[in-house]
Amino acid sequence: MDYELPSEFDLIVVGTGVIESIVAAAASRIGKRVLHIDSNNYYGGLWASFNLDSINKLVTENELRNELDKKDLLKENETLYSVGNNAFNLKIQSQTWNLPEKLEEQNEVQTETVDAKEDVDVKVDESWTQEKLLKLSRKFNIDLTPKLHFARGDFVELLIASNIARYSEFRSVSRVLTWLNGQLEVVPCSRSDVFSSNKVSVIEKRMLMKLLTSCVDGDEKEFAGYENKTFQSYLKDRKLTGNLIHYVLYAIAMSTDDTMCLEGVKNTKRFLGSLGRYGKTPFLYSMYGSGEITQAFCRLSAVFGGIYALNQPLNGFIFNNEHTFRGVLCGQQRINAEHLVMSLEKVPQSVVDFSAKEYISRAIFITDRSIMESDKEHLTLLLFPSINGKRTCTILELGSLTGTCPKDLYIVHMFTKQYTSPEEDLKHCVEKLFYKQEESGESEIILPNILWSFYYSVPNTFNLGLKCEQLHNVYMCSGPDMDLDYDPAIAQAKEIFTSIYPDFEFLPRAPDPEEIIIEGEDNNNVLNDDNNEVEEHSDNRTEENLQTQRNID
Amino acid sequence: MEDFKFLFKVVLVGNAGVGKTCLVRRFTQGLFPPGQGATIGVDFMIKTVEVENEKVKLQIWDTAGQERFRSITQSYYRSAHALILVYDISCQPTFDCLPDWLREIEEYASSKVLRILVGNKIDREDREIPTVVGEDFAARHNMYFLETSAKEAENVEKLFMKIAEDLMQQARSKDLPRYDSITTNISGRTSSISDSNCCSKLT
Ligand SMILES: Nc1nc2c(ncn2[C@@H]2O[C@H](COP(=O)(O)OP(=O)(O)O)[C@@H](O)[C@H]2O)c(=O)[nH]1
Ligand SMILES: [Mg+2]
Repeated sequence: MDYELPSEFDLIVVGTGVIESIVAAAASRIGKRVLHIDSNNYYGGLWASFNLDSINKLVTENELRNELDKKDLLKENETLYSVGNNAFNLKIQSQTWNLPEKLEEQNEVQTETVDAKEDVDVKVDESWTQEKLLKLSRKFNIDLTPKLHFARGDFVELLIASNIARYSEFRSVSRVLTWLNGQLEVVPCSRSDVFSSNKVSVIEKRMLMKLLTSCVDGDEKEFAGYENKTFQSYLKDRKLTGNLIHYVLYAIAMSTDDTMCLEGVKNTKRFLGSLGRYGKTPFLYSMYGSGEITQAFCRLSAVFGGIYALNQPLNGFIFNNEHTFRGVLCGQQRINAEHLVMSLEKVPQSVVDFSAKEYISRAIFITDRSIMESDKEHLTLLLFPSINGKRTCTILELGSLTGTCPKDLYIVHMFTKQYTSPEEDLKHCVEKLFYKQEESGESEIILPNILWSFYYSVPNTFNLGLKCEQLHNVYMCSGPDMDLDYDPAIAQAKEIFTSIYPDFEFLPRAPDPEEIIIEGEDNNNVLNDDNNEVEEHSDNRTEENLQTQRNID
Repeated sequence: MEDFKFLFKVVLVGNAGVGKTCLVRRFTQGLFPPGQGATIGVDFMIKTVEVENEKVKLQIWDTAGQERFRSITQSYYRSAHALILVYDISCQPTFDCLPDWLREIEEYASSKVLRILVGNKIDREDREIPTVVGEDFAARHNMYFLETSAKEAENVEKLFMKIAEDLMQQARSKDLPRYDSITTNISGRTSSISDSNCCSKLT
């Protein structure tokens, strides 16, 4: 099955991250000829999800290729730029097993402890071994860039508006937690949560409801005078009690002590505005991992004629002497296109005259029980507030119902803005959630054990203002950012799409198959002359692209 | 709201050119398209059939051409109830690739998915893979086996009816792949949780 790629396109997209995939889908959707390639043999780049085996083997060094002997494929006045750089990839800090490799060895260890008759301290559940976990490797879908979706956020609205929603399934986040007075507490999110909470007094309930209402409905007058003050000072002036300020400031507004009032209000609105649509919290998580999202856009692109090829030997980008993009060199083949969109990791080293100013510290853990056990499996968002000068930290705990890990295990994702290193930046959270506190002797809480851990840094390239000054018809896509959802990614994809195709709608609704195909014997509208039938049955909402039937090759 | 009792997702895989798209179109539309059969913008096809007096809706997903460079998205396999693996009986390489396809299926599809092996294009004179070889392979891998011709409409109806019947039986004995019902479908029509007003355009 050695097919050759076609050699003329309107747009070549290199890299299958979220932004690249959205642009590819949007371009195919309006009938542009799109080639979407990746040198990786998986979808998603830095936004991908992996099974346990592959994440352990993850290679993050770009192989820099520059095949100068391919010069004969170039025309006069053309230059070849190598693909990729090492400035924008993720850096793995450590990958650690906290488990014996096999069962035999562990039995020995156990006999020893029994003989010693010392502490019957919390032990790793004797049944787990590295071997056993790796046998279940395929049941893991471990996100490099875990995301949640606001139920009324840009992402969900885009999925619905474009009809891409049919490729994905979601699960509601079932609880939002915070760390308050030395322990985990459930944040009351909805009106009914607030009223049923036994942590909040009746007076507090009224205060809280009133405050939330004024954040959502309040006009400018409500916040007059707070333009240069913090959200915390606003909350204090509203005479909220300490606990309430904690819930609103650190959880609902996902803010810190320094967050400005208007930003805090905006965040509060974002949170409250997504309540009550799908579940008990404002958030959804993509089944089988966040890596599915980029694939949903790629599928749409393919359905509209986009050509997909992973695992491609990308040998260079071709430019003319006005620095205008001409095409790519893929293996021995030259492929021409008018425009190039690429992931930041693929940008030629020689063009990279900027670097990331900020990094994200990230960690992933496989654990053997939930951070806060309950009679049912939860999908948890923990917003760890900034305490003792430490940064706020976003923590996500996923159980087997999300399709990202086997039964009886959990995956915990943590991330924060980088200060020193992932280990250092996240240490305070790890200690509180997974290690026994000396002081809290009375509690019988059994903390989860970390079976496997993975620390890594990702450059936060979102605010670099990526503009390719020296090259024409080239657009660069940032890597993962700190946003909980995909809002910045969608905004960037839309911006790129609009600069290439200013006169076209961005991801208009794709028709449903029901609108195209007529089934059942009771009508004889069987589609035998496709063009007419498609036109006839795909009501006004269907765009002209649909009416044309094209061959994929 | 809609008039069917069961909805099953059926996906097709196999090398490019073996006739997957033609099989789908033969079954759903009763035609054999000239040239390459893919229609731009058509994602999956739907046909409702009757099994034991019950309406069964089959949602049949095609690869969207992503198989050509071995770049099928994993999400394509998710939540499939049945999986049709197709090769071309007149083309040995399409048969030789079956183990690769099985590996991919095992990795991403549910272990309970109903798997069917199909040798297509039996109308052709230049057969390279004898029926028994296909049968053998299917038996070894626990698959149902059928030879078809999308062109001559041979066994195509039978293939999909067999799938509908088997899935229905599985559904009755509760042995279907279980796709958790608490998941949220946000597409705005299939699920009661979703908000049907939200299909408005984004401009
Ligand atoms: N002789 C014959 N040709 C077929 C049959 N089914 C498909 N083809 C041809 O095989 C080619 C590929 O078919 P297509 O359905 O596009 O294959 P796909 O890539 O697997 O979707 C087309 O030229 C079809 O006309 C069949 O049953 N008999
Ligand atoms: Mg096809």
